[in-house]
Amino acid sequence: MRRVAVTGIGLVSPLGHDAAAVFEAARDGRSGIHRLQIAGAHRLAAPLAATVQFDVTQHFEPLQARLLDRFSQFAVVAARRALADAGCDLSEAERERAGIFLGNGMGGTLSMDEGYQTLYGENSDRIKPTMILKGMHNAPAAWIGIENGWRGPNLTYSTACSSSSVAIGEAWLRLACGATDVAIAGGCEAPLSLGSLKAWEVLRTLASEDTADPTRSCKPFSRNRSGMVLAEGAAFVVLESWERALARGAAIHGELIGYGLTTDASHIARPSVDGQAAAITAALASAGIAADEVDAINAHGTGTQANDVAETAAIKRVFGARASQIPISATKALHGHLLGAAGALEFVLSLLALKHNTALPTMHLDVADPECDLDYVADVARAGAAGRTMLSNSFAFGGTNAVLALRAVD
Amino acid sequence: MTSVTSVTLEDTEKRIRYLLVKDFKLDSGKLTLDARLDELGVDSIGMAELIFSIEDEFGLKLADAAVQLSTFGEVVQFIDEALANRHATTAPFPKAYALPTAT
Repeated sequence: MRRVAVTGIGLVSPLGHDAAAVFEAARDGRSGIHRLQIAGAHRLAAPLAATVQFDVTQHFEPLQARLLDRFSQFAVVAARRALADAGCDLSEAERERAGIFLGNGMGGTLSMDEGYQTLYGENSDRIKPTMILKGMHNAPAAWIGIENGWRGPNLTYSTACSSSSVAIGEAWLRLACGATDVAIAGGCEAPLSLGSLKAWEVLRTLASEDTADPTRSCKPFSRNRSGMVLAEGAAFVVLESWERALARGAAIHGELIGYGLTTDASHIARPSVDGQAAAITAALASAGIAADEVDAINAHGTGTQANDVAETAAIKRVFGARASQIPISATKALHGHLLGAAGALEFVLSLLALKHNTALPTMHLDVADPECDLDYVADVARAGAAGRTMLSNSFAFGGTNAVLALRAVD
Repeated sequence: MTSVTSVTLEDTEKRIRYLLVKDFKLDSGKLTLDARLDELGVDSIGMAELIFSIEDEFGLKLADAAVQLSTFGEVVQFIDEALANRHATTAPFPKAYALPTAT
C-alpha cells in the first residue's frame, strides 16, 4: 500500500472560502448559522441555515452557469481552489488515470424544486430542458472532469451524511493500491430549497431556533440540543501518492492514513452504536494504528438527540477508559450540516486542527448531558491538544458509517 | 407581397434575437444571419431551451420535426415559415418590448 498525501484544499463554505479563514472561524467559534431568507421561509418552523456567500457571475460565463445547479457551481469552484492550492500540473498520461471522487446527498434539489414548482405549482409543462442535467447527482463530478480533462474514474457516492467521507476514503483506496496517482475528492451540497427544508423539518431532525441568538441554534452534545441546521457548500482535497508529492516538492497538508467503512444494516434512520464502533475500529485497522494513538476526534456531532448519544457510546466502546481523555470536536455547531459535503469539510477542519495542533471547540454546549459525558472541548479551542493523529467520523441515514484517519506531517 | 414578407421576417428576427440575448446573454453584434448558434455556445441543449422560448414568444406549438437548424438565419427562416403556415398575425405580441403599431 502506498502512502497518500493531501496537497490541496478547496472550500466554498459557510465559514469562508479559504483554509485560513475557515480555521480561524472554527477556532474562534464564529457561527455561520443565521435566519434564512428564502421565499416561503415563513412556512418553516425554524427558518435557519448556514449559507455561502457566492456570486456565480464571478466564476462562470452565463452560458455555462445556466447548465449548473448551485451544488455543481460550488463543486467546480471548490475543486479549482483545491487544484490551485496543490499547484500541480498533470501530464496527459496522468490525466488518463486521474480520478474524481465526489459525495453528495440530495442532488440538484434547487433545480428539481424549481421544475416541480413549474409542473405542479403552476400547472405548466414548461420545465427547463436543463432540469435533468442540473439535477442529476453525478453532474458536479462530471463538470470537474470536463473542466480539467481528467479521464480516469469519475465517481459520485451518495450515502446521505457520510457521502463525502466515503468519497475521500474510496479515493484513498485507489491511490493506496496504485490504481491512480492523483485524485480530487470531497463533496458538495446545496439543499436549501423549500421542499428540502420542509422534508427535513417534518422528519423532526432540524433544530428549533435559539430565540436569544439564532446563530447558537445548533448545540451538539448539549442536553438542550434540538437538532441539526442545514447548510450548503463544498469541500475538496487533492490527494496524491506520497512519492509524487515529494518528487515535485509539494506542500503537504497532512497524510490520509486510513478509512473505515461499515453498514448498520439495521434501521434506515436510527444510528447503531455497533455500526459506528465497527467503523472506528476498521479505520484504526486500515491505518495500522492502535486505539491509544488517536489524539483527537472530529465527531459527526449533528446535534440530534439520537446521534450524539450513539456516537458517544461508540467512542466509549472503542477507546474504553481512555475515551474521556480524547478531545472531541463537533464543528457542525458553527458550519451546520452540509449533508453530502459535511464529511469533507470536517476532514479539512481536522487537517487544519492537526496542522495548528489545536483541538477545535464544540460551541453552544450549554447544558451537560449525562449520556454525553466525554470531553467535547466545550466552547473554547484548546491549543496543543490535537496531537498528531485524528479521526473524522461521518455517519448517515441508511446506515453507512465512514471514518477517516489522518496524521500531521512530521 | 414582398414588402409584407420582409416586414414579417424582420419582426421575427428581432424577436428571436431578443430571446437569444435575454436567455443566453449573447452579444447581439455577433448574431448575424449566417452566425452558427453552436459556435456562439447554443448547443443542442440550448436549442431545446430556445424552442421553448420561441413557442412561448410566438404562441406557436412546433412539432418535433427532425429539422437541423444551424445558423441564426435558418432559425429565423424556419420560424417565419411556421408562422406563415398558421396565420402568423394571430400570434401574440411579446410583452417585453413595444412594436410599432403602424404596421
